Amino acid sequence: MAQTTVKGKVLDDSKMGIPGVTVLVKGTTLGTATGGDGSFSLACPPDSRLVFSFVGYATQEVAVGGRSTLSVTLATDAKQLDDVVVVGYGTQTKAEFTGSAARVSGDVVKDLPVQSFDQGLAGKATGVSIGQPNGVLNNAPVIRIRGVNSISLSSYPLIVVDGIPINTGNLSANTTVANNPLGDINPADIESIDVLKDAASTAIYGSRAAAGVILITTKNGKNGKARVTYEGWTGITNAVRLPKMLNAEQFMLIKNEAVLNAKISSGNENNSTVPSASFFPTYNADGSLVDTNWYDQVYQTGVSQNHSLSVSGGSETTKYYLSANYSDQKGILKTNEFTRKGVRFNLSHQLTPWLSLSANANYNNSLNASPNTGSLEGNAFGLVGSARLAWLSAPNVYAINPDGSYNLSTANTLGMGNNTVASNFYNPVPLLDLNKYTSENDRIITTFSVGVTPFKGLEYRLNYGIDRLKIENANFQSAVHGPGFGSGNATNSSVLADNWNVTNTLTYQRTLGTKHALSLLVGYDVQKFNNSLWGATRSQVSDSFFDTFEGSYSNIVPVTSALSERAFASGFARFTYDFDKRYFLTVNVRRDGNSALGTGKKYGTFGGVSGGWALSQESFYKNSALADVVTNLKLRASWGKVGNGNLPNPYGSLSLYNSALYAGVATWVFAQGGNPDLGWETSKQTNVGADIGLFNDRVQLDLTYYRNNVDQLILNVPQTPSKGIPNNAILQNVGAMYNRGFEAGITANLVNSGKFSWTSNLNYTTNKNMVTELYGAGSEIVGTTSTSSETTNITRVGYSVGSLYGARTNGVNPANGQRIFINAKGEQVQYNHAVPSGQSRWTYLDGRTAAAISVSDYQLLGNALPTWYGGFNNTLKYGNFDLTVNFVYSGGNYVMNGSKATWRDQRFWNNTTEVLDRWTTPGQVTDIPRVVYGDLLSNGSSFPISANVEKADFLRLQSAGIGYRLPLGMFGKSGISSVRVYSQVFNAFLITKYTGTDPDISSNGNTNTTPGVDKNSIPQGRTFTLGVNVGF
Amino acid sequence: MRTRLFSNRLLFAASLGLALSLATTACKEKELLNPVPKTSLQGSLLFNTPDRVLGQVNGMYAGLKNGSFYGGRYPMLSDIRGEEFINRLQNVFTGYDAWNHTINSGSNDALTTWSTAYAAINSANLVIDGLAANPNVVPAATAAQYTGEAKFVRALSYFALITFYGQPYVKDAGASSGVPLRLTGETTTANNDLARSTVAAVYTQILKDLNEAETALPLTYSTALLNTTRAHRNTAIALKTRVYLNMGRYADVVTEAQKIVSATAPYRATTGVAHQLQANVNTVFSTDYATTESILSMPMTTLDNVSGQNSLGYEYNINQEYNLNPTGILGNAAWRTTDARRTMLRTSGTTVYLAKYRTANPYLDYVPVVRYAEVLLNYAEALTRQATPDLTTAAAILTAVHQRSDATYTLPAASVATASALTSAIWVERRIELLGEGFRSNDLLRNLLTIPAKGTAPSITPSQPEYIFPIPNAEISSNKLL
Repeated sequence: MAQTTVKGKVLDDSKMGIPGVTVLVKGTTLGTATGGDGSFSLACPPDSRLVFSFVGYATQEVAVGGRSTLSVTLATDAKQLDDVVVVGYGTQTKAEFTGSAARVSGDVVKDLPVQSFDQGLAGKATGVSIGQPNGVLNNAPVIRIRGVNSISLSSYPLIVVDGIPINTGNLSANTTVANNPLGDINPADIESIDVLKDAASTAIYGSRAAAGVILITTKNGKNGKARVTYEGWTGITNAVRLPKMLNAEQFMLIKNEAVLNAKISSGNENNSTVPSASFFPTYNADGSLVDTNWYDQVYQTGVSQNHSLSVSGGSETTKYYLSANYSDQKGILKTNEFTRKGVRFNLSHQLTPWLSLSANANYNNSLNASPNTGSLEGNAFGLVGSARLAWLSAPNVYAINPDGSYNLSTANTLGMGNNTVASNFYNPVPLLDLNKYTSENDRIITTFSVGVTPFKGLEYRLNYGIDRLKIENANFQSAVHGPGFGSGNATNSSVLADNWNVTNTLTYQRTLGTKHALSLLVGYDVQKFNNSLWGATRSQVSDSFFDTFEGSYSNIVPVTSALSERAFASGFARFTYDFDKRYFLTVNVRRDGNSALGTGKKYGTFGGVSGGWALSQESFYKNSALADVVTNLKLRASWGKVGNGNLPNPYGSLSLYNSALYAGVATWVFAQGGNPDLGWETSKQTNVGADIGLFNDRVQLDLTYYRNNVDQLILNVPQTPSKGIPNNAILQNVGAMYNRGFEAGITANLVNSGKFSWTSNLNYTTNKNMVTELYGAGSEIVGTTSTSSETTNITRVGYSVGSLYGARTNGVNPANGQRIFINAKGEQVQYNHAVPSGQSRWTYLDGRTAAAISVSDYQLLGNALPTWYGGFNNTLKYGNFDLTVNFVYSGGNYVMNGSKATWRDQRFWNNTTEVLDRWTTPGQVTDIPRVVYGDLLSNGSSFPISANVEKADFLRLQSAGIGYRLPLGMFGKSGISSVRVYSQVFNAFLITKYTGTDPDISSNGNTNTTPGVDKNSIPQGRTFTLGVNVGF
Repeated sequence: MRTRLFSNRLLFAASLGLALSLATTACKEKELLNPVPKTSLQGSLLFNTPDRVLGQVNGMYAGLKNGSFYGGRYPMLSDIRGEEFINRLQNVFTGYDAWNHTINSGSNDALTTWSTAYAAINSANLVIDGLAANPNVVPAATAAQYTGEAKFVRALSYFALITFYGQPYVKDAGASSGVPLRLTGETTTANNDLARSTVAAVYTQILKDLNEAETALPLTYSTALLNTTRAHRNTAIALKTRVYLNMGRYADVVTEAQKIVSATAPYRATTGVAHQLQANVNTVFSTDYATTESILSMPMTTLDNVSGQNSLGYEYNINQEYNLNPTGILGNAAWRTTDARRTMLRTSGTTVYLAKYRTANPYLDYVPVVRYAEVLLNYAEALTRQATPDLTTAAAILTAVHQRSDATYTLPAASVATASALTSAIWVERRIELLGEGFRSNDLLRNLLTIPAKGTAPSITPSQPEYIFPIPNAEISSNKLL
């Protein structure tokens, strides 16, 4: 038959050439692939039909009909990308998936100015709440999938990258520098992020999955010629929503008023030895008042850049993806910096029709540098926290003296100039200049996999993975000022978090007749973690020249070392069955062994069952009128039981003694009370929902109701302190709680007319958390901020985990300006910080002496967990322009604005300008008490007060961006096939009544029992970026 | 052919699976799931060797030395509640609440003092129980000695508790509620509930333990360091003088003191460790921490010291959290400028700081717990207050203590004229000699004196609840019998 050569081009909606499209002559193996600009040339019979296919696009057939040139436009197939759900140890099609999951494409996070992909997930996945606890770079976000699912154990989901559960959480043991291990994964390498939410889906991960599972699939090549992409952006970040502090003049006015008030109130009005003023100006050489804006000394405009380069491609049998990335991001605080360098190589190869091999390797180096920000868990009350120092340092003194030296006192504190009171805080400037704190990761994440298919339908797969993370922490503290004063010290420590994972699976799939499809998966999985920590502190630096551990010092002392092992060994199975794509059934079972649990309690059996009914596939439905509107309707339900044994301590069930020194000789000291009966926490989850497609699936609805009952909670049960048990607690299985809620996701193709399209997604989740049982009647768990510095939360039966806790207040007494508290009996008592000797500071409103407010008067002040949250994401396209607008919202919870206590403290600390509204005159109604020098109690510094509890509801424009795709013709024969330039803003604005910096702030990080505390943390920054995506 | 290929593949898959997985993992499952910690010892292995038993004995002392206890915070709290120091920085983490008498049941200092004292008590109880349950690990005589040391540690810890959290014994002969008396080791979740014993019952137990320790403890150890860092017979006796003095049992103070104080100057112990005052008081605090004057001290080494906000050197000297109150003992005429003890002060401008603990970064000054000077002053005070006062001996001892540091000083005639005048002079001497060693508030409380006002902090009378520490909330909420 005569051959004709057909030439042509394959274009997408926006008339851009699509490279790598397979062009096949129908019914033959004759074919080719399009080039970089989408063009192809193929010899074929003139009457043949050509089939154009490419991942992500609807396949199209075109008759040649004797033509020699033809142009084809492929329509994107949104459904096709969404069609697959990555589940544990495999994938399922969305049609047959009957659990509850959310999928986010890697494209959503790749261009965001974030350090780790999880920061970019806020508002993107139904049921998943992501909170950014502060503005420190690479700080792990607070991730909650359907609420807090444990009290003592981690509520952080299991993260699985290409089949291997990876190390997460705070592994660096660095208390100063944030180091989220997920920052080691280049967001641009991610193909998809799947979030498994219900127990029937997660049960395949058994004990690891109580807080949900996030499955990361990295990119691989696609059939066709090599594609090269470059993605880069540069950006600037600034602090936003910082409160306005008093200037020098206002500061002296307020503080001297406080000094005088204290003098008068303490009965010393006529005592000349008691000062009437303690704050006095310092003048510059030109006679102007020294007025230091400490924000200028601590904050900066952070400039960042990020580059990713990838080469991918492949043939029918071999596919590859190679990428390199470099990211250098600077934060809003001086010296806060994140640098990542990484490479990835993913390869898959079909050796023979029955044997396939694949390997993914990722090497990465991440360097986190940060001052002590006071924002990380445990640091809220430090003397070194930058946020707090910027707030409380006196504005009427120098930061740096006119002669260039730091303004310091002789006692290693900020010099107080002409003020006659001392400060116990450091000058932040030398801390930022001279001290260095870094935490650097070297990490290899690699998986190797072999698949064997002895006969059609049966596959054996061996997967071997390694996640080896080596962290080096290096701290230097100068002898000039700060914690290293007079000595100069350097601490280096080395942390190893090494884990390997071997998975064997056998999968059998079979279709019986035309209507029965079934599959069976059985597997065995072992994962082992080896962790260690060692290092030393050198002190008494020999010369100010040295600022690293390797320099010369007089002393060396080891840091507390650690060495631990942990292992999971599990057998599992999954059976799926569907009848005629109408009825679906999935059954999971997993038997888990966990080394951290007590002898005899190490094994637990978990499992789940889920079913679905594709109503819209029924013939009676297809014929009904409803079918024209509701084009797709699937009902699904699941029930499952999962365990949680993710003890932070791998030896939590053992009674242990530690050895140390006393007078130079060895000791053995009781260090941990054990419980040999320590077993699994179990949660039983029920999940009912529907997937609904309207108007030819232009509108897709996903509705789910869930309830999760957790019992046998592992709690660190308080032991009577007089027993002398270490930490006054022993782990026990007691207590129960539940999470219940409703999820709705709606995705709509609102407009799709020629040049203009608009896709919108709105997702909404409600969650109600309630503790139903603790360790006995009346028991409650008190949560403290910053180790045990302040009691801020309480977990009590009948309320949500970690409710806010503190003293109830009732405003300010207009008669005398004193803060009014409500005691346990409900009586009003007022507080005057300065009273004559022998008189009580605490009185009833009629002046009678009252007992001091103490812990016994504290009350539960509000739920700290969001009860509703979600996102509203929009993508609009017009011609070559694209616009994205993504909102995040959350609410129903309260935040303890503890920073406000700092801002209003009446010691020598600076205050916000709100304090100018303090009470001064009888009858005056205000919420700021009369200022009395030294008063740390009236505004909440001594203990939390309800006056600082605020609603957290907010709407945030998380990201908005505009992009422009340059017309193809511009690049001629340069080889460039596509260029998109864009500009973005991240954390654009916040609409909230919250008066602190950000209601998302969590001073206690991911801790379950102390959420909702905003104490001395730096706010989030706002980032503007300019970026470009180039394809070759 | 097809079948052949088929079985080859099967064979390949099967052998791959077996070789790579089962061999490497499955058979090791038991081992994998039962890892043995390599840096901690499981309880069952504690009495396997004599060295481990000795390690536990040293561990009890390490419990005393905890930064929240005798290693720093406890003597600091005890001092700053009195009137000798002025708080400069209003920082609750360095004792502002205690100084200001605003400690409540939720305060950190109320809980940590309580917890660390009971942790030391539990370590002593575990040693006593463990030695009884494992009688053959160490020789019987050694076991008896260790038990004696444990009783000493327990007594010292209960004394710390009862003087902080209990009403003074002399108020009502100990009839008030004291603290729970825990006498057996606790390692499990059982026994959370235990009622408070009376103050008298706690004192009775302290004396019982000390009497038993006295007979079980060795006369001396092999080195001066051990003599200062572990309890020997004279340590128990010395502590008894303190306990009896607190109870107002002056004759018993005298009886005990006479066991370790010679009848005439130079005053020294004639049996056991030869305690006596050193020629220069500075020796004890700077050049040699293990002289015979230091009966028991908390040792600090570069690898094992108390630093930061629990360190006395940090509080009083380096970080200047407290300066000396000009109207406290600092301004007392009896403390003359020529006094060697003033060399342990540091003046900056007009502000005076205590520099008794001066080695910083690391903080290596030993913290004295029992010092011979205290025993002498306990003895002298008891001599003036017993039924038949012996003013001559008391005055001679007082003079010996004072003249050690100020050789030309003579007691004013008025001070030796009456027993009460001499008692007052001894009290002044205690304030000078023992400044910063954790005695002041107890000296006020045991005499039912009002805690004087200082700076902005008010005075506290014996009838006010702030006179003693509140029992911590954590104990109240978990101990149903309290």
